[in-house]
Amino acid sequence: MTPNYEGKVALVTGARRGVGQLIAKHFLAHGAQVVGFSRHEDDGQAHPHYHRVVVDVGDAESVMRGFEWVRKQLAHVDIVINNAAVLTSQYSMIMAASSAMAMVQTNLLGTFLVSREAAKLMKRSKWGRIINIGSMAASLDPVGDSVYAATKAAVSTLAQVMAKEFAPFNVTCNTLGITAIETDMLSQLPRAKIDAVIAALPLPRFATADDILNVVDFFAAERSGYITAQTVFLGGVH
Amino acid sequence: MDAREAAVLECIYKALRSLNEERPADEQIDIGPSTCLFGESSALDSLSLVSVVVDLETLVSDEFGQFVSLTDDRAMSRVPVPFTDVGALKSYLMELLGEAVPA
Repeated sequence: MTPNYEGKVALVTGARRGVGQLIAKHFLAHGAQVVGFSRHEDDGQAHPHYHRVVVDVGDAESVMRGFEWVRKQLAHVDIVINNAAVLTSQYSMIMAASSAMAMVQTNLLGTFLVSREAAKLMKRSKWGRIINIGSMAASLDPVGDSVYAATKAAVSTLAQVMAKEFAPFNVTCNTLGITAIETDMLSQLPRAKIDAVIAALPLPRFATADDILNVVDFFAAERSGYITAQTVFLGGVH
Repeated sequence: MDAREAAVLECIYKALRSLNEERPADEQIDIGPSTCLFGESSALDSLSLVSVVVDLETLVSDEFGQFVSLTDDRAMSRVPVPFTDVGALKSYLMELLGEAVPA
């Protein structure tokens, strides 16, 4: 079924490239107003219904300012995609604390801050869908990705707790655990390592855009109001 | 009470009236300057208090054109927290508005 997001405002973090850009374009193509939170002044998106807001998701003040803009300009937000993430792949014993902290700050704290502020707006309209972009790393525990995997596991837990807290306001929180897709972030990892991970999956192939958008549409759908606190992994990961 | 203080108080009352609209007739909160918001003698459960605080941030922003946060580290680490009753909350908001930047 073709999704229809007319009248909806979807907010995507890390919309400048990769999965975030893919999801932002999908919502635009199906009628939504899309707000892209990005640290960069120019995120390359050009569409009359696309609104770029410069926000550092790991900074509470910046996130609050971003949502103040959303509230004043668009009045509401209906769907939030917590996609912004950074990845440093390194053995734990030689991982710099600054790299670990950057992942915690963007991947976990950023998801928390954006969800928190989104819920305040969604509470007013008594409707909302918060979708975290997780990772197969949370389940597969890949060597070299200790902190990244931990932050991605954490966003699932975050969604599960927030699902309970936001349920009275008809706001659902779910996580999509994606497998590898050809993105800029993937290019930071050794190809042999990625290929080995893919080969070990029950469905041994890269994820496609449609694999991801299919689950995003499912979580975002009007009919999914009874679906919350769930993590769906692609490719047979569990 | 000057006009600014009265407007802050009205924002708090609005947030509480909004909460009352969602509560059954026998659970209405008596709204006044000494209404207890937090602690054992409060009529508000934790989720109700969260609702009031969140609504209040928006109401104050709309009324004064200034962005204030009632849930930042400063508010949450204050002893006692600034949500104990309507009077304390009003005082804290007046303090924030005195230094807040335009929204």
